Amino acid sequence: VSPAGVGIAALLLGGAAPTALGSRPALGRRLFQVLGIAGCLSGLVPAIPWLLDAKRSAGPGPSPWFGLDPLSAWFLVLILGVGAVTIAYGARYWGAEDGPRARRAHGLLAVLLVALAGVVTATTVLAFLVAWEVMAVTGFFLIIYDHHDPGVRRAGTIYLALTHASTLALMLMFAAWTGGHLGASFADLATSPPRPAALVLLLAGLGFGIKAGVVPFHFWLPGAHAAAPSHVSALLSGVVIKAGIYGLFRVLSLVAPIPAWWGWTALVIGVASAILGVLWALAQHDLKRLLAYHSVENIGIIGIGLGLGALGGAYGHPIVSTLGYTGALLHTLNHAVYKSLLFLGAGSVAQATGTREIDRLGGLARILPRTAIAFGVAAAAIVGLPPLNGFVSEWVIFQGLLQAGVVREPLRVAAAATAGLALTGGLALACFAKLYGTVFLGTSRSPATPARGGVDAALGAPQLVLAAACFLLGVAPVAVVPIAARIAARLGPGHEGVGGVPGLGPAAGLVSLAAVGLIAVVLAIVGLMAWIGARRPHAREGRTWACGFPRPSSRAQYTAASFAAPILGAFGPLVPGRVERGDAVFHVRPRDPVLDVFGTPLWRRLRSAGARANLLQKGRIRLYLVYVIVTLLALLFYLRPLRVG
Amino acid sequence: VSLYRFLSLVAVLVAAPALPGIATRTRAFLTGRRGAPWLQLYRDLAKLWRRGVVYSRTTTVVFRLAPVVLVAATLVAATMLPLGGDRALFGFSGDLVAFAGLLALGRFALVLAALDTGSSFEGMGASREAMIGAFAEPALFLCFAVLVIASGRFDLGDMLGTSLITTSRTAPAALLAAAALFLLLLAETGRVPVDDPATHLELTMIHEVMVLDHSGPDLALILYAGALKMALIGSLVSATLLPRAGLAPPLGLLLLLGSLGLLAVIVGVVEAVMARLRLDRVPQLLVAASALAGFGMILLLR
Repeated sequence: VSPAGVGIAALLLGGAAPTALGSRPALGRRLFQVLGIAGCLSGLVPAIPWLLDAKRSAGPGPSPWFGLDPLSAWFLVLILGVGAVTIAYGARYWGAEDGPRARRAHGLLAVLLVALAGVVTATTVLAFLVAWEVMAVTGFFLIIYDHHDPGVRRAGTIYLALTHASTLALMLMFAAWTGGHLGASFADLATSPPRPAALVLLLAGLGFGIKAGVVPFHFWLPGAHAAAPSHVSALLSGVVIKAGIYGLFRVLSLVAPIPAWWGWTALVIGVASAILGVLWALAQHDLKRLLAYHSVENIGIIGIGLGLGALGGAYGHPIVSTLGYTGALLHTLNHAVYKSLLFLGAGSVAQATGTREIDRLGGLARILPRTAIAFGVAAAAIVGLPPLNGFVSEWVIFQGLLQAGVVREPLRVAAAATAGLALTGGLALACFAKLYGTVFLGTSRSPATPARGGVDAALGAPQLVLAAACFLLGVAPVAVVPIAARIAARLGPGHEGVGGVPGLGPAAGLVSLAAVGLIAVVLAIVGLMAWIGARRPHAREGRTWACGFPRPSSRAQYTAASFAAPILGAFGPLVPGRVERGDAVFHVRPRDPVLDVFGTPLWRRLRSAGARANLLQKGRIRLYLVYVIVTLLALLFYLRPLRVG
Repeated sequence: VSLYRFLSLVAVLVAAPALPGIATRTRAFLTGRRGAPWLQLYRDLAKLWRRGVVYSRTTTVVFRLAPVVLVAATLVAATMLPLGGDRALFGFSGDLVAFAGLLALGRFALVLAALDTGSSFEGMGASREAMIGAFAEPALFLCFAVLVIASGRFDLGDMLGTSLITTSRTAPAALLAAAALFLLLLAETGRVPVDDPATHLELTMIHEVMVLDHSGPDLALILYAGALKMALIGSLVSATLLPRAGLAPPLGLLLLLGSLGLLAVIVGVVEAVMARLRLDRVPQLLVAASALAGFGMILLLR
């Protein structure tokens, strides 16, 4: 019995436990938690040697349908690692009062994790597509958990339509590649270059791009990820959209050489997704929608790395290629960790206060201290600040872009993307300062919303685990950067052992040193301040200085909307919104430029055109007789010149 | 040689608080006033260091930790710049990303501390600071990209140690990058035309209003970090324009300190001859800085 088999069995059993033990919900939840986490960890075991042992090569696995290689192992670790934390959180998130619906959703979560593991370990086209579809449909049922809410149903419908558009594109892609032979394995595909290559690569970009949520196919994502229960959102945003990234990596590993136009397209779409994603996030007022738009941004950053890797391959620069792919892989892992953490934090906030409106919150750091710490770490990480993990992947991608600038070929133009990536970082800083400052700092903006502190104690631990991971990956990048670089080097031109990046490992060690140095200096100054604090006049407490105004009110605090206004103003029409003014009312409702500005009106026009066309077919027999007679007369008129004989 | 690099760092750390004083004094002189003594910031720091602290009841640990994080991040960033000679105390491939990241970390901490007070004025300052930061980031990275592409080196020490300004191929790009860095210096350190350190109305402040609630040693740390940041970005400008490769040890340091003083004088002149930009024009100034660096990049990639 293999650990993978044990893992799958434990996950599925754990998922079934809450429903099977419906009469004893507490026991069912506990079994779900224990078996689920054990299953995830057990499923991780086979992946470890693939990551640590550089020399290991793919042999015949235990199953003809599923198997591992370093790329699969990398994604499997992040899926099951985040999955285990999600299960721990989910088992506490829903209590007995949530009833059979929550118990079934626990089961769906387990199925989703197994399907995800299947997607990244499938070795044949058919197994991949089946796992992909199970993942997509399970995701749909989890998204419409609150299906009494019409907004949730709408988000679910849009998700379902888009995920099937993605599956359709993938089926066409594989059909074109294999010539209709869906039983083919990926190893077969590696030896048969796709023809026509342009069509296959375009369809791959479309299918996987929709799933990953790149601009302009992102518009299903914010609604769906905001609608789902928070720990499901964590899994969707942190892990499920990475299935699209995995797919792109898999295709890139099977095709050589990658045409340059594909790399340029990926790079441009990556920059556009990154900048537009963070700008649209800045305009949001809903905590979870904001986080979901940040997933678009981060997928864009991963796209920059992927595009750069493909370009390096296309122009024959293994160092650029390896740096790009390494950055993309690292960012995939890092984003999985901090984005799932942010969604778990959002879940705690929503459960403690009953609202996700940022401008109704404030001062939650006092009520939810553990959530506040974990969320703060994740916020600094997603902005890409040292000494946290987000910095490490951006450091690698920046180096790749700068390396591209030094070579003497068309590739050097890629260095211009540094400006895009830097702008993204600056805007992300503004956005998370706004989010964290408004939700956790200051004082509460609506005295009416009760805040339950018990939530923090129950849901804090899983978040702190992920926060520790953000911190460790940032302080000790030397542990993961070489692994990612090794996987990336095998994706590059020629597939095998082309390009380590000389000096990347030692440089990662120096990043660790800088991180440790920073922490040491912070601690030293804290110590110094404490020391002098002890010999100074006692620190006094008072009211915030309101510039002479005697009665400051919590409603006078800057809101998230005001905070973001000057930045959004500078970008003008890129960030559409509807302004609602009234007596003592001022709202800016952000609109999605693709869905709300183009998609919905287009859909409405299509429907009204359909309704007008419907006049032709109203089920009246007389009308149909008229059609028949008119047709007959027209045919007779047409046949008039043809005299018989 | 390593000792010399360390001593250069110490010299810059000690000299940094003089720079804002020189700029302010120059401005006062040119506008016909006497102005504060140019060493005033040292006195302010010493005074604040001895004072007690008042914390608002609204604030959390974020507010108390922010000045420390700001200073620590700026100090670590300082170790990555080549100050007196052609090498930095500490560096690695891609450390320019870490340099920018550390400055961003300081900004993040300060903005959060401002929001922690729950004051509408500080929120306003935080919002403006975040806006300036968002637009300054691409300009800084484009400058770094220009210097990397021109020198072919990936760490700050090697990159700034290369004499770019004396080679005809790279000189125009290096000049454009230095100009962009100077605009960044004005924006990042809260100087006219972006912010006015002499303003007395909270509504028009950016940097000062953000730290209204800080007092005592906390405020001293923030003021010191601001002066140090001026010295660091000034060193970037100085190293781009006046490469110090091959200079005998004390000469390089003297050249750096002299050029920093000159830069502070130029900042003062700019303050004396220019009015502040309207706030919604500030992004345009920073986009102009990006454009300058971008042109430099185009010259190199041509």
